[in-house]
Amino acid sequence: MKVTYSWLKDFVNIKLTPRELAEKLTMAGLEVVSLEESAGDFIFEIEITSNRPDWLSILGVAREISSLTDSKLKAAKPQELGFKASGLKPVEISVADKKDCPFYSAMIIRNIKVASSPEWLKKRLGSLGCRSVNNIVDITNYILFELGQPLHAFDLDRLGQESINVRRGRLDEKIITIDGQQRILDHEILVIADKNKPVAIAGVMGGKETEVTEKTSNVLLESAVFNPILVRRSRQKLGLQSESAYRFERGVDLEIARTASLSALELIHTLAFGKPYAYKSLGAIKSAKSEIRLETAYISRILGVSIPVFKIKQILTGLGFIVKTRAKGILVVKPPSFRQDIKLQIDLIEEIARVYGYERIPLTLPAVKPHQNVSGNRDIVSGIRIILRGLGLQEAITYSLVDRSLLIKSGINKNTQPVEILNPLSKEQEVLRSTLLPSLVRTLAYNLDQQQEYVNIFEVANVFSDKNSSAQHQILSDELVHACVQEELSLGIALCGSKSLLIKQGLIKDEVTILHLKGILESLFNKLGVKVYDFKPQGDNQINIIVGQQEAGFMLKLDEQTLDSFDIKNKQVVLAEVNLSKLFKHINLERKFINIPKYPAITRDISLVIKDKFSVKELLAAIEPKGPSLLSLVKVVDYYQGKQIPSGFRGLTISCVYRAPDRTLTEEEVAPLHNSICALLEERFGIKLR
Amino acid sequence: MDINIIQKQIENDLTGIVSPQELEMVRVKYLGRKGILAELTGLIGTLAIEERGPFGKEVNALKNKLLNLISEREKTLRIQSNIPKESVLDIGLPGISQEFGNSHPIIQIIDEICGIFNRMGFSVVEGPEIETEYNNFTGLNIPLDHPSRDAFDTFYLKNYPKLLLRSHTSPVQVRAMKIHKPPLAIVVPGRVYRPDAVDASHLFMFHQIEGFLVDENIRFSDLKGILELFAKSVFGQDIKMRFRPHFFPFTEPSAEVDISCIICKGKGCSVCGRKGWLEILGSGMIHPNVFKHVGYKPGKYTGFAFGMGVERIAMLKYGINDIRLFFENDLRFLKQF
Repeated sequence: MKVTYSWLKDFVNIKLTPRELAEKLTMAGLEVVSLEESAGDFIFEIEITSNRPDWLSILGVAREISSLTDSKLKAAKPQELGFKASGLKPVEISVADKKDCPFYSAMIIRNIKVASSPEWLKKRLGSLGCRSVNNIVDITNYILFELGQPLHAFDLDRLGQESINVRRGRLDEKIITIDGQQRILDHEILVIADKNKPVAIAGVMGGKETEVTEKTSNVLLESAVFNPILVRRSRQKLGLQSESAYRFERGVDLEIARTASLSALELIHTLAFGKPYAYKSLGAIKSAKSEIRLETAYISRILGVSIPVFKIKQILTGLGFIVKTRAKGILVVKPPSFRQDIKLQIDLIEEIARVYGYERIPLTLPAVKPHQNVSGNRDIVSGIRIILRGLGLQEAITYSLVDRSLLIKSGINKNTQPVEILNPLSKEQEVLRSTLLPSLVRTLAYNLDQQQEYVNIFEVANVFSDKNSSAQHQILSDELVHACVQEELSLGIALCGSKSLLIKQGLIKDEVTILHLKGILESLFNKLGVKVYDFKPQGDNQINIIVGQQEAGFMLKLDEQTLDSFDIKNKQVVLAEVNLSKLFKHINLERKFINIPKYPAITRDISLVIKDKFSVKELLAAIEPKGPSLLSLVKVVDYYQGKQIPSGFRGLTISCVYRAPDRTLTEEEVAPLHNSICALLEERFGIKLR
Repeated sequence: MDINIIQKQIENDLTGIVSPQELEMVRVKYLGRKGILAELTGLIGTLAIEERGPFGKEVNALKNKLLNLISEREKTLRIQSNIPKESVLDIGLPGISQEFGNSHPIIQIIDEICGIFNRMGFSVVEGPEIETEYNNFTGLNIPLDHPSRDAFDTFYLKNYPKLLLRSHTSPVQVRAMKIHKPPLAIVVPGRVYRPDAVDASHLFMFHQIEGFLVDENIRFSDLKGILELFAKSVFGQDIKMRFRPHFFPFTEPSAEVDISCIICKGKGCSVCGRKGWLEILGSGMIHPNVFKHVGYKPGKYTGFAFGMGVERIAMLKYGINDIRLFFENDLRFLKQF
């Protein structure tokens, strides 16, 4: 909201410079976000928090300045009406429900001369960013900005005369508002209606048909208080925003509504020569505010500073509160009518702290007693991140909300129903993703576009799935509904391109394959103490990751078509996704020391040629000892396919490590065992030794 | 065999040598496994006991002499031949190493901040991103149909009218307090979502860190003390701080916390909008209504809460001017951290 230095001075003497004033206001909770000099005046733009509708006016800000600087408020008292407000003939006003409209007043002003406003008025409105329309409309806006009370002037002669009724809209009723738009109404929307039809949307915007124009000579001036929730709903429903609705939905001061009419009348009389003819109001003119009990001990318990009672009283009184001492250490406080935000003791403490000055509250350090029972998987996830980084992977963060078509074109996780968003701003926010991989592939593609040769990234984030979108959720409790949408922590890895390694022998280009991914996962699982895991091929491109006995994820090589759809050319992309909530159960970070072998081992390699239909996994499984054995380790140390190997075969070198725990083994002991392994391989797999 | 003769013979053998290969042949002839010196050593056992000692010494002396002669010869050969040694190290060549992976700058900031609070005794807790309307709003004293909700534009789920994407990390306050009784000292990092139009400083997804301390006597002065300790740990000991009154529905009194601009040191620059101050977090004393909603006995506990945007802190700390960079994941960006 904007206020000007000169306008504020109408209400309060200000000894501070505009800059000092801005600082003072900011530190009192009225954050001045900009201060501009304009034509000899200063314009302050203030961010008013939603709890303080009483600050949404020049008067409100001036009131605050008066209490902050201890300077008296010059409240303008408009002249009272020169006649008894007994009726509003020929118009009959009525309010259908007092809860919708606690106060309604109308004043008939006759023989006005609608013209353009004088320069001073145009300038004041202009400095607040308000366009001048004509003197009558400008005066209602002026009062709105000055006192915070929205007013509306109807062209009296264009109202269906006999009655003005404040009521709910009826289904399919229509109105064309001042901005020229047709609005369709319903029962949730509060309207001002004449005998036949709505003439204004209460508190939000007037109707085009009854607006004040140059032809207007008699007006009905409305000053009312509408239910904030209703005004809010109406304007949300209609997609409208107005200065009036902004104030009504935050709450206006009941006790200023009448003053506002009288102030407007003064101006109308001066600028448009109008004469009051009749006035009538319905509803309360005094707001019922209850007293709040304030314990001074509670103030220091909350703030950590002891403020003398006289100072507390001084602050509250300065803000317009009525303070009485009930007993030692107990005050009774009655807030002024414009402070509808003050309901509890804590609200008063905030006011005291604010005016006393946050900067005067000392800094202390509490005894922090950590709670023992709160824990989660965060440390494990941190560990996973460290391991993956150690393996050279870059960590990425991508959006959880994605375009549905991204999920579809990746072809990944097709059968999971993603969670849909009701109110996305764009297609990119349509659904909560059910897999991390499409976003990671998009990140790969982006980086390849930036001429990266090798991209290796991972992300740890939640994925979402809709388990039961068709059920009736309205009747379920929050917890049950929550169970329908699943949110699980997931790990995604994406590798692409060739890694360049410059070693002693020169440059090596190492193109990524599924085996690179497998290596990463094996290192990760081993480091995390996951004992039982396996990789099970599913069709051509996918390999499932089994942890324990359960499927916990998959590895995937993207096919040409998918690569094409992401614009990835001449590059392999391999992906892995692991459901971390399934992995967590198998993580074991406990360690037991195993004695380091005392006696040396004997290593024997077997170089062999084997049909490539046999998997290394089968081969190793055949060799691996089923019980206690001198063979302590079997591993593949080399493999080769090429010139010297006939097609359909591959060359392998398997290293067998023999060791006894209690003695140094001799060649003679190992030879028969090793020979039997070779024989077994020849027999079972038809290998040829090289 | 006469040791003196052997010695003569050695000298003879060495004089004619011009190549390392020849030298190696000589070495093997005398010092190899089956060489002459091994033979001599083998003889020791055949001698009378009193002769063994002196003979052994002579053999050893001969062996040492021979080693010296060979190594001298080797040196002269190398100098003469001027052939480079096996390999010459050019330390200008790139070192051989593995590339290290980096953690995302947002994760780094989260870890740093959680670490600071961890050391002060706070536990790190996480909560779900899909939340109930109650935990996100009502339980936090943000009533339905109140303008204070405008500050929290929220994504709702399509098929579940009561569920939404949390618009802040504060719902974890409600969750934690519903389960645990004070004392509670907790920080909560996590993703949050708001339907904001995307520009250099706004995104529909970002990260927050929430913190709260609840016990029987936690005061506003404690909030100030803890947050100053925190801000100085992150931004350096020289910064100034100020606490400005503000409004959050779930705290009262509420404060926004500014630090003196780390770019211009408070003089006013484009980063701080000429104000000299940078807003870094929102905070306040937990509203009694929040305690009421979680079922705490009225008046028994007090506590403070604070929340901050991780991206904002990271942008200030690293001098990043566009929030979108965090989620583009350009390797040239990620590898800087």
